[in-house]
Amino acid sequence: MTLRNTFASLGTAAVLATGAATTALAQGLPDLVPPPRTFANSTEHYQFLLDMYDGGTEHTYETVPTWEGLWEAGPNNVALRGPNSVFFEEGTQPRGLAAGGTIREGVLSEEYHAAFVQRREAMEEFNEQPYDRLTTCEPAGMPRWLLEPYVREWVNTPDQAWWMNDLANDTRRIYIGADAEHVNIEGTHFPNGDSIGFWAGEHLVVHTVDVWPMDYFRGYPPTSNQFEAVEVYHMETLPNGTQRIVMQGTFYDELGLAEPIDVVYTWRRAMQLESVDYRIRHWECESNSQTRLAADGRTTAFAVPGEAEYNDIRGADIRLRAPDLPADLSGQTRDPDAADFSNMSLDAALGGGN
Amino acid sequence: MKKGLSIVAGLAACAIATAAVAHHSFSMFDPSREEVVRGTVVQWSFNSPHTLLYIEDESGQNWVFEGNAPPSALGRTPSISGDTFTPGEDVVVIHCPLRDGRNGGGVGLVIDSDGTVYNPSDAGCSANQREAEWPEWVEAGYTSKAEAEEATGTGDSQ
Repeated sequence: MTLRNTFASLGTAAVLATGAATTALAQGLPDLVPPPRTFANSTEHYQFLLDMYDGGTEHTYETVPTWEGLWEAGPNNVALRGPNSVFFEEGTQPRGLAAGGTIREGVLSEEYHAAFVQRREAMEEFNEQPYDRLTTCEPAGMPRWLLEPYVREWVNTPDQAWWMNDLANDTRRIYIGADAEHVNIEGTHFPNGDSIGFWAGEHLVVHTVDVWPMDYFRGYPPTSNQFEAVEVYHMETLPNGTQRIVMQGTFYDELGLAEPIDVVYTWRRAMQLESVDYRIRHWECESNSQTRLAADGRTTAFAVPGEAEYNDIRGADIRLRAPDLPADLSGQTRDPDAADFSNMSLDAALGGGN
Repeated sequence: MKKGLSIVAGLAACAIATAAVAHHSFSMFDPSREEVVRGTVVQWSFNSPHTLLYIEDESGQNWVFEGNAPPSALGRTPSISGDTFTPGEDVVVIHCPLRDGRNGGGVGLVIDSDGTVYNPSDAGCSANQREAEWPEWVEAGYTSKAEAEEATGTGDSQ
């Protein structure tokens, strides 16, 4: 059966996110498109789709869908950018990262529900989560990668897709093909897990396993090391000419969730950033950050010049990064105009005071 | 400072809000306080994951203020980029200070020497919600939101 016949006989609307369903609401949140039936686990779900599409489409470099440009996270049904999060009762999702809201019962497992309640209660003092695991630049990882409000690029090839977020240069790689299998020669889990996928026409179906315990977003529930995902992506052009990428998916987490949850995420084309020639750079997140866990063990601290914890961002004093070289070697600031805070900070870091 | 202040402030007030969510919490900044520091730019670090503005105040003390991420700053009106603030330039910074009183904070607004009001604020300081008021308060010599609201009879405490 050819792919065209497969789509004709089965109808993509029942299985994958369709253009008709997603364009109806213009730039709002597309209707959620649940999977055709329930599955025992993510592997069964992915295999069902792979079989349904007869192994999928073998794209070439000429035919593979390209989602070029810069993209930023948009509306979804999980966190941050509502209108309604699956983790909160309808209409009670707090704005942005704020405290409050009514946690929906029956979504998380009993243990993870209690953990989420504890997290939300701890937010009340500061009206936000007082400390975030990303503070010292741990990767966002899955599923938080989907929402981090930095800039993304999607690079699709026939046999791999590389999806990059410029926060901490966090990249997802999807290994594509009908015979793609999960590989884990390291014998451990990873921030973004291991992802395989196949093309079904213009849609990319992705299966992700072996993920670190992460979270859905700051202020939202944690995930466990059992988290797995089946995601279906496509790019569409709305009637007003704007482009967006839509993901319809299902998250599985035997420890964290009471039942698998169906999700929908969107990303919108960041035309304004493209217009000013914004480019994704390699930023050393940790060395560019002045934040860390505070001494109280529960809130966030911020270092200022003159303190040992202060990161002199590629500063003039090279003693910490190249102690074998002359400390006053010229031309070692990150750019010729950079200020020199070394007399304030690195002396302190090296125990010399200031 | 007076030149163009009201016009630019009006434009800034119309800025389209862009994403301002950091990779860390803002629990170290006190969002209930908005205070003024006048000084000279030492360095403007337009880097990810956060921008940092370093100034030396009129008494010679150094300060550092954290702002939003570059993609967010570029989307503000007026747009903010790596050459927006230059060393040696006089600026007025409205910020939400560190709770422990050290010389730093989350930046709310920056007013440059020709009166242009910039909004490099992240979610840690909502002084940018007072873009219309702050240029007038700075012009009047107020050094904090509390002082300005008390003098003008505005604010929640009135």
